[in-house]
Formats: sequence, C-alpha cells, structure tokens
Amino acid sequence: MVGDGIEGLAAARLWAATRFPYLATGVFGAQVIADPGSGTVSVDENWRMRADPELTAQWTPAQLGSVLVHHVCHLLRTHGERAQASGVGAGADRARDARDWIRAADAEINDDLVPAGLDLPGSPVLPRDLGAEDGLLAEQYYAAIRDGRRPVQGPEGGLGGGTRDRSGREKPGDEAGGWLDCGSGADGVPRPGQEPGGLPDWQADLLRRQVAQDVISHAKLAGNVPAGMLRWAEEVLSPRVNWRKVLAAELRRAVFEVSGAVDYSYRRPSRRSAVAGNVVLPALRRPVPEVAVVCDTSGSMTEALLAMVLAEVEGLLQALGLARQVRVLACDYAVAPAQRVSSARQVQLVGGGGTNMGAGIEAAAALRPRPAVTVVLTDGYTPWPPAPPKGMRIVVGLLGPRAPDAPVWARAVRVEPDDLPGGLRK
Amino acid sequence: MSVTPGSNPAAEALGVAVAARVPVLLWGAPGTGKTSAIRAMAQTMGLPCETVIASIREPSDFAGLPIVVGDGVRFAPPAWARRLAEAGRGLLFLDELSTAPPAVQAALLRVVLERAVGDLTLPDEVAVVAAANPPEQAADGWDLSAPLANRLCHLAWRTDPRAVADGLAGGWAAPVVPVLPDGWEAEQIMARGLVAAFLHVRPALACAPPSDPATAGRGWPSPRTWDMAARLMAAAGASGASEEARSALIAGAVGDGAGVEFLAWLVQMDLPDPEAVLADPASFRLPERGDRAYAALAAIAAAVSANPTPERWAAGWQALGLAAEAAPDVGATAARVLAKCRPEGVVEMPAEIKLFAPVLRDAGLM
Repeated sequence: MVGDGIEGLAAARLWAATRFPYLATGVFGAQVIADPGSGTVSVDENWRMRADPELTAQWTPAQLGSVLVHHVCHLLRTHGERAQASGVGAGADRARDARDWIRAADAEINDDLVPAGLDLPGSPVLPRDLGAEDGLLAEQYYAAIRDGRRPVQGPEGGLGGGTRDRSGREKPGDEAGGWLDCGSGADGVPRPGQEPGGLPDWQADLLRRQVAQDVISHAKLAGNVPAGMLRWAEEVLSPRVNWRKVLAAELRRAVFEVSGAVDYSYRRPSRRSAVAGNVVLPALRRPVPEVAVVCDTSGSMTEALLAMVLAEVEGLLQALGLARQVRVLACDYAVAPAQRVSSARQVQLVGGGGTNMGAGIEAAAALRPRPAVTVVLTDGYTPWPPAPPKGMRIVVGLLGPRAPDAPVWARAVRVEPDDLPGGLRK
Repeated sequence: MSVTPGSNPAAEALGVAVAARVPVLLWGAPGTGKTSAIRAMAQTMGLPCETVIASIREPSDFAGLPIVVGDGVRFAPPAWARRLAEAGRGLLFLDELSTAPPAVQAALLRVVLERAVGDLTLPDEVAVVAAANPPEQAADGWDLSAPLANRLCHLAWRTDPRAVADGLAGGWAAPVVPVLPDGWEAEQIMARGLVAAFLHVRPALACAPPSDPATAGRGWPSPRTWDMAARLMAAAGASGASEEARSALIAGAVGDGAGVEFLAWLVQMDLPDPEAVLADPASFRLPERGDRAYAALAAIAAAVSANPTPERWAAGWQALGLAAEAAPDVGATAARVLAKCRPEGVVEMPAEIKLFAPVLRDAGLM
C-alpha cells in the first residue's frame, strides 16, 4: 500500500494525516508510485501520484507530507476538469497556458493551507505573487496572471525574479526548485506515458464527498478548519445551482405554462377527422404569449449586473422564439413609457432614490396586447402589490447578494454577480 | 476521463437497462450518436425497432385514435404499436422526447411505464428506450415533466473523443444487450433489502420531488425509482456489468444526489464492522485501498474510545497490530487515538505500540 522505494512516505503521510486530519481520507486514498528520474512529484486525475525518490529524499517528512496534501487538494478541487473548462490546452501557447493555470491553481490551494501549516519545499505560489488578493478561485487567479502579463514588466516586476522558484518559472533555466509540474490532475492535460487505470471517476466523486463530510464534521468538533476549505466542502455537499440555469428554467416554465394552456378549438377541424367518420374532432390551439420586462432603474442598481441579466433574459426569450414581442419598462418610482430595445445596453439607469415595482407591474398589465408573462429585475428593495395582476405570471430576478425575498406569489431567481463558469465558488 | 479505451459505461448501462426492461432515456447534445447507437443496438441484437419521434406527434398517437364503433368509442392503436405487438418483442424508441409538448408527454406516461397504447398493451418483451437533448441545447426544448422524468432511468450520453476517432475509422461499436441468466430477478430481493436498509438511515430520500425547475426534468427519488434502482442493480450484478455502469444506472434512476449518497453508503457497508472486529480481532483483514483502510481503523479506534474497557482496548491494539506492516502510517493515526483512551487500571502498554514507534518518530510526533 505504501509506495515502494519512496523513503519516508509513511512518515510523511502520518504527518499530513495528523496535521490536516480532515484531509486524511484523501491523503490515504491517493496511490503513490515511485517514478525515478522524473524529477518531480505529479498527480493524475485518477488519484495516482508519481514521485521521484531522489527528489523526495531531500525533503523532510513534513515537506513531503505537505506536497501530498497540496496534490490531494488539486484533486479535491477538480483542477483538471476546471482547467479544461477554462480553455487551458486549447489556446495557441498550450505550455504557457498550462503553466499559468497550475500557478493559479496552486494559489487557490495555498492561500489558506499555507497559513494553516502547510510546509512546502521552496517558495510556494501565493496570491500576492500574482498580484491578487486571497480567497479567490483558480479561474480568477488565472485571469489575474493573464492580465498581469500584458505589460511585459508590470508594476509587479519582482514577480518573475528573485528566489521564488515556482512563480519565477518564466525565466528559462530557473527550474531548480523541483516539483514544478503538478501533473494532469492539476491542468487536465494528459501526460505522455500515462496509463489508463487508477480510481474511476465515480469513485473519485465518492472520495471527494467523503473528504467534504470529514471537513464539515471536523469543523463542528474542533473548529480549526480554514475558511476556504470549509466553503469548498459546503459547495461539494450542497452545490449551488447556477442562476442562469434556474432563470432559464423559470422563464421556460412561465412561458410554456401560458402557451401550454392549450384549448380545444373547432375553428379549424382536426386533420384526424377523416378517421373518425362523422365525428368532427377539435384541433389544438396554442396561444403565443406576450412577454414584458420591468427593470428597476433606481440608484441602488448596478448597471453592469442589470445589463448582464437583461442580456440573459433576451437570449432566453430569443431561444423560445419570442424576442420580437418583448417590451422593456424602465421603472423607479414612476414608470417610463414602454420601450422596445434591441440590446440590453440601451436601457438607461436614470432613477434616483425611491423604488416601486408595483407601479411597474401595473404598467405592464396595462400594455396592449396584455403580457402573459412579466419578468421583473430588481434589487428587492421595493414595495410589492399583495397579489399579481389576474392572469399574469411573474418571474422576479433578484440582483445582488443581499436582496430581500420576493413575494410568495412570484417565482424568484437569485442572481449573483459572478462571471465564473458553472457558478463555481470557493 | 478515466474511460478505458473501447469501453463506454453509458452504452453498457443502456444494454443492462434494456435487458432489465426498465425504460431508459439518453440525454446528450444533438449529433452525438444517441439515435444511431440505439438503432445499431437493435440491429445487432436482431430486435425489431420502431422509432417514434415524439415532438411531431399528437397526444392521440399515444393514447389511441378515438373511432366511433356502434354506440361506443374505441381507441385504435397506431400502426407502430400493432407491429410491435405482432412481433411480440422489440424496441420502442422514442426520439426527441424533450421537444414533445406537455400534452404529448402526459399521453406518454402510460406508454413508458405500462406499455399501454390506446386499447393495446405491448408485450412484456418490448423495451422502451428514449433519447432527448437537454432543454438548453434544443432551441424549442421543453423541460421534461416531473412525472415522466420519474418513470425513466436517465443516462448521460457523453462522447469520448477516442471512441469518435475509432468509430470514424473502423465503424461504430453497437451497445450490447447482455443476456440475463434465468432467475436473475430473485437477486432483486437482495438489492431491495439494501435499498430498504439505506432508506431506513436516510428516510428523507424515500421520496423527494425536485423543488427547483432546473432539476425537475431529471431523475429524482421516489418509491417507484428506488424500486427501479433495485431492479437495475440486480440486473447489473447478474450481467457482470462494470461498477461504473452500475453506478450510472443507480444515479440515473433516483437522481444524482440520492444516487451518490446511496453509493457512498454501499461503500461504507463493505467495511468491516468495528464491533465484530473487537469481538474477534484475529479475523480482521485490512481493506486494500488506503482510504478504506483508514476508515476501517478509525472506526475501530472510535468504537474503543466510546466504551474503553480493558478487553476492548487490548482487542483494538491487536487489530491495529495486524495493520502495522502493510500500512504503518494508517495504523499510527488510529494508534494515536487509542493511546489517548487507556482504560483505568491498565498499567502496561500493549506490545503493538512498539510497531508504530519508528514511523511516529520519523514524523516528529514522538
């Protein structure tokens, strides 16, 4: 079970399991294989670590244990999969992208585990090396690295120089720090000579959930779990659904429930009537619903967020084949006349203090033809009417993290300002 | 990612579901070969296959066409249903299920589960297979209604780039329907027992209809889907399917959340019972995988520390001693727990503790 030929592995794992008891299941779940001559310690997506015994012999048990914990975190946080989602390995300079991504992923792991006692050999990548603050996601660090590169020698000129072996990897020949390549488990790019096998995906999922459960129960008992780790565990056990998906489903449902109010009509006989002899069968009729959007334009709304959600709503309605019928009402305390906008950017935030979405909903109900579905985009700080106008379905998009709840008669979707794929959150 | 070349867990799971006659639905982007895989499967197995595209049908195509006969109305089954009934076996393939309007989905409820089309009931040997595009990928997609979703086992149809390359070069491999041995259904009793034991621990998962519309169109736990999961488990066991296919079938029937919890619970069930180990420590066998070994030893140490009598304490050390050679580090984590709960009156430290001294010293913990 203990990797043959790697001296001090047992002590290293024991150190890791003692120092980070909530990660012990993950540390023992990874298979460690000796890989002489590779000059690094790397991990693949199927929980197999390859370590160069010559390299690890230079480390203390605490250092080797820390490298193991670090690699297990790559796997727990599914960095390989997320790298692929971020387009690593698809661009023009694949090697550089992969290097950048690994640094970003390292920063995501190290920002709270290094303060918690991770003792990595060399100088680990920390968010400040990337010119970013702590507590962000690898995707955000990755963006920071790419932004930082545009001016070749930016204000963080020290980033590439000095003693930082991992962060200074840009300089050719500066590879002395060892364990540079974290492997396909960190960037999702398969390495040559990587054999199939290891832990299958579904078992890796179970292992990840088990560790998340350990983290939560350890936090309840002992309470000394880093906050980033705890957020990760909560996200794994009760994943947050992406608001775009919920908004899409709510809108589809509202529109289809109206258009799906199918009625039998004798205006046009059914094409099946010939089969039925003398009986005239009714045909199905499907009204196409009108949709209106009411936008809160009071001062408390942020323009960027509103534009983002409005673009999303327009895209969804277009996919439903309804885009032509959409009318947008800008509303703070009074309601501006309905405008047909062709792009989300045309909606202007003019409002001042007060907000009353009730007025906006009423104005939408007064439109002719009357909309069957109204989408209200607001920050939630508004009075609501006690009931929706008769025969109208209302979907409320609540913008901003602290928006108060929408009334019970509306279907509410919470929209949070994140631009991350899949609503990922650390 | 971990798909070994040549194997496709979704295709394998599809074969098992068809063999078990559980209605199955493949979810996948347009153009990923769902339809061709299902047709190829029917062809290689020599099964008559009737393709019905649900989105261009009317409810009466599934509920039967009303015909006035004498003083009553008969619901005449359409031709495809009559052909399947005459053949006595085969595959009913419902394509484009997610673009079927709600009224058609409602009419499909009885077809999918009871194989009833109008006044005609399809023979038991007819398997129902469906394919659908996720609503966000189909321009005019509807969400599957929760009752229809609850009658199907949902499988994600993913394309493995390597399989595409192989298929283009050398023809597509058709999914195989395994032949289930006679009497396989008896194994359902065992599977049902496991499901029942799990629901005893997690009663909230016995029936949990989806609350938000984004997940409504997929599998969700209900008595019907748990029964389906038990049947699929038995069929997967009888056909020797891979564990990956089995887990896909279980999660497909009861939904991802409940499915993963059930699978995790099954893994736990495989671990040795700590009380049994303490009663007879010599019988203890250390699980092969490191994380399971850790779970087993931690459970033993926890059981001793909950009720530390001198006998249990000694038995615990004996079990740890058996693990010391194969996994000194795993054993040492449990040994640290055990060392802290020495029962009163025990003066002598057990001999096994020496086995862990070197590794504890190396790690700087002693």
